[in-house]
Order: sequence, then C-alpha cells, then structure tokens
Amino acid sequence: MSFARVETGMKHGLSALLLYCMAGFSSVAADLPPLTHGLTPIAEPQPAPALILADMDGKMHDLADLKGKVVVVNFWATWCPPCRREMPSLERLKQQLQSRGLAMLAVDVGEDADTVFAFTGQLEPAPTFPLLLDRDSRAMQRWKVKGLPTTFVIDQQGRVIFRAIGGREFDNPAMIAALLAQTPRN
Amino acid sequence: MTSRLFTLCVAALATLSGLQATAAQTEKRDPDTGAVTWETRAHGVTLSLTQILPNQARAFYLNRGFPAEAVEPYATACVYMTVLRNDAAPGELSFRLTNWSVQNAGQERPPNAVEDWMMRWRALGLAEAAQIAFRWAQFPPEQEYAVGEWNQGMLATGLAPGSRFDLTARWTVAGKTFEGKLENVVCAR
Repeated sequence: MSFARVETGMKHGLSALLLYCMAGFSSVAADLPPLTHGLTPIAEPQPAPALILADMDGKMHDLADLKGKVVVVNFWATWCPPCRREMPSLERLKQQLQSRGLAMLAVDVGEDADTVFAFTGQLEPAPTFPLLLDRDSRAMQRWKVKGLPTTFVIDQQGRVIFRAIGGREFDNPAMIAALLAQTPRN
Repeated sequence: MTSRLFTLCVAALATLSGLQATAAQTEKRDPDTGAVTWETRAHGVTLSLTQILPNQARAFYLNRGFPAEAVEPYATACVYMTVLRNDAAPGELSFRLTNWSVQNAGQERPPNAVEDWMMRWRALGLAEAAQIAFRWAQFPPEQEYAVGEWNQGMLATGLAPGSRFDLTARWTVAGKTFEGKLENVVCAR
C-alpha cells in the first residue's frame, strides 16, 4: 500500500460509509443465499486466457509470470453482494495456502481504485493479494465470465482446472482440500 | 381391500415423489425494508425472487452515474434480486432467460431482456462505467451451473408497480427440460 493511499484514508473512510449505504439493497432478503463450498472440475483443461492488468497502485501484473504456481483468479465488483461476502474468505485461503505455492489475483470489473479501496479497507481480514482493475470489462469477457462472482483455478502448467460460479466460502475445508491436492509439498 | 390399500400406497408414493421434485413455495418479508422474498425448490434447484424497491434501484444506479430520468423506467419496472442455484440437480443445468415466462393478466412473455436495456443506455450515451455496472448487476441472460453453482442478480419483469404475476423458470439438464414456478408474486410499489 503506497503512502499516498494511506494519506487519503479519511476520504476513503467516508467513501466506505457511502458505499455501505449504497450497497444496502444487497440485504433486502431476510436470509442471504448461502455461500457454497464446491469447485467444478473442468473436463478438458485448456490454457488460461491472457490476464495482464494494473493493480490499484498502477503496478502491472501478468498471470503468465505466475506459471509454476497454482493461481486463484476471482472476478468481482464492490456492488455484487456475494462478491463482497466471499472476499474475506479469499484472504483467509491465501493465508493458509501461500506457503504451498498458491497465488491469488482478484479482478474488479468496471470500477476505479478509490471505489475498490473504500470497500476493501473495511474488510477483516483485508486482502493482501493484488486487486487488479478491469476498467473496460474486456478481461472478464475474454475469460467468458457470464455472472459475478466467478472464480477460476489455474494449475502449475497454466491451465484452467476448476471454476466456481457464484459466491463461495473459500476457506471451507472441502475447498482447501481440493486446492491442496493441486499444490503438492516439495 | 388389497386393491384399495395398493391405491392408497400408490397415491402416497406419488405425493412423496411430487414433494421431492417441487417444494412448497415460501414467502418472507424483511422486517427492516418490507421487501418480500418468494422462494421455491424444484428438481434440486432453488429459485428465489426478492423485491427491489423502486427507491433501492434508484439509489443503486444514481450512485453509479445514471441520470435520474434514465433510471426511472428501470426502477419502476418491477425488479427483483433473483437467485437460481443448482443444489442437487441430476447434472449441470443450463438456461436462457428468453425461455422463462412471466404470466400476468392472461398474457405470457419473457422478463425484460438485458440487451434491450443496454441499447437504451447506449442511445443515451451513458458513461462506460455506468453501463458496465448495469450489465453485470443483472441476472445473467444465459448461464450454466454445475451442482453448487449459482448467481444472484437483478431481473426486471417490466410490469407496473403493484402487479401480480407467476414466473416460470426453465432449464435443461442433459437435454431434458425442467421448470420451477413462483406463483402470485407481487411487484413492489
């Protein structure tokens, strides 16, 4: 996190409050739909589409640079209720499996850095993985995402091996076990 | 006597299998917002509609760069937060919203098409960020769900506030068509 970004924390705090109010419609239901726990195996894994995007500080990230790691790629937006709910579990998953070579990229669709920061700044735990900005939604379309959130798992050879459409509890034991099987201990 | 018992058993089994295929529709009102949720489960798939009150829709899109006059037709188009989830269907399901039907006042037609709204926003020259937020906040026009997969998104029926309607959702699994129905759903005012 750059110093300039921390310095504007007050402004972002107010933005976070506004964002919370704006997202209020997400809780219109008395019972929220449950986050699920499964990963759908891809029958014939294919090479992942290109993913080269800047993060909130303008630093470029290329999925191809992570070849040799298992990578979780999550497409999301701050206004998407299940995306908001699953985000802390992505961070908990990362904390549990990063020592096994798991990497994570979250791709926000259509929003700017201030909007994303205002939301993630209020999360506990806050994400420590790169938050990439797909401002024109072209990356999302290249990955053939049809609804948010959608998450993909890329294997060490750069192939898409799992997908998860809809919100997940990523640190659920069943999901951790599925990912552990892809990240053998050296 | 034996045949009567047999008939009773067949009737009981038929009832049980029917219950398994389609659960009773439930209805809940959120005590804070007053928004109502209708939910049913059919053939291992959960379908629910939660009213998005016109003021909630207005606030959401105004805060994403929509001019007030642009958002009004959508906010009053009987919009629902829609969830479809494959809990235990006999395989991966696929659907297209063009195959769903909204039945109201003796007429039947699909929900409003997302692309029709997008054409309207493009004609109005709305900012790209506003258009992207709208497009991806909608329930997907088509999708596939393996067991455990689902989406939540906005769906406009296009009916007037206060209207009552039935919604039939249709999907296919391995070429076979299934459906789930929500009855007597009410558009928020």
